[in-house]
Amino acid sequence: MTKELEHQFVSELEANQNIVHKVCSLYTDNREAHNDLFQEITIQLWKAYPKFRGDSKFSTWMYRVALNTAITLYRKSRKQPKTQAFDTVLYKVKAEEYDPTQERQLNLMYSAIRELGDIDKALVFLYLEDKNYSEISDTLGISEVNARVKMSRIKTKLRTILNP
Amino acid sequence: MMDELELLKQDWQKRDREMPRLTFDEIHRMIWKKSSSVVRWIFYISIIEFIVPHLLYLLPSFRSGMNYDVAGSLGIRVPLIVLTVIQYGVAVYFILQFYKRYREISVLDSAGKLMNRIIRTRKTVRNYVVFCLSMILVFFGVFIWGMVLSDDLIEALHLHPNGQVDPDRLKWVVVGIMSVAGIVFTAVMGGIYFLLYGLLTRKLYRNYKELRRMEN
Repeated sequence: MTKELEHQFVSELEANQNIVHKVCSLYTDNREAHNDLFQEITIQLWKAYPKFRGDSKFSTWMYRVALNTAITLYRKSRKQPKTQAFDTVLYKVKAEEYDPTQERQLNLMYSAIRELGDIDKALVFLYLEDKNYSEISDTLGISEVNARVKMSRIKTKLRTILNP
Repeated sequence: MMDELELLKQDWQKRDREMPRLTFDEIHRMIWKKSSSVVRWIFYISIIEFIVPHLLYLLPSFRSGMNYDVAGSLGIRVPLIVLTVIQYGVAVYFILQFYKRYREISVLDSAGKLMNRIIRTRKTVRNYVVFCLSMILVFFGVFIWGMVLSDDLIEALHLHPNGQVDPDRLKWVVVGIMSVAGIVFTAVMGGIYFLLYGLLTRKLYRNYKELRRMEN
């Protein structure tokens, strides 16, 4: 029984692991910390899995647990050495669609997002993942109006960075 | 002009294939590793907090200092028994409360609710520690009170002073030492506690405040 559940869980997580990796890439800045957070999220997901009744999609449920872990439970200190190693993987230039200006803009925005606070990051993350404001407010526990207001402020901030 | 953020969104969603990919086995190994979450540490620390004061009684000097023989000769046996009963009663109440809070915590709540619950759990543990620290002070206080009222402190404490010592002077020296020890001990315990929890929940508290600020 447990073996079966275990197998089912790992398969689902394996198929949806991108969500977790993306959360990790926003909240950590080197590979070691990335793997650490990934592991912690996996443990939290597994612990909560028996309560997952399939009333929402597995991926939707993952967003919540992953973000909760990143902004609430994760204990790693932020005093990590700022290495560029991982960033180069993330911001890898795609040869076929290389556009210097656009690439520069995107990189600027990504680094601006990384400088945001944990909560703001979560908001941007959900926005980038194409979640609507109702889902965002539900995940973070703030009202929809507040989520909108906050997001529009972040957008303004990002635009100012691009067009100083 | 195309919205830069739309561009970012598209780019973000394309990044899927650049993310690392773990195999089934790698993920499988992870689920049996130990969690290092804040909640888990709060849980461990509170258990340690409950056990450590009891370990102190295992130290011979502490036990003899608190034993009923001395308490009897100081005339404070009854207040000590009453205090001990109160202490254990309240401790059991706190443990039950704490366990209840701990069970309430679920990663499936919204981030705000989850943080709220962790902070409430933390408060319960904090109240428990404040209670324990007060009890230490009260115990010291009762002993000091007994000493001050004692007619023959040297006899009561089984002290064997060398040569001629003014009993009155000795009494105040012992009372002074006890007072300072009581305060220092309580302060050190309190300091350790606040340091531990402060460090552990610093990030959590910051995020919690940010969420609250968004709501206002």
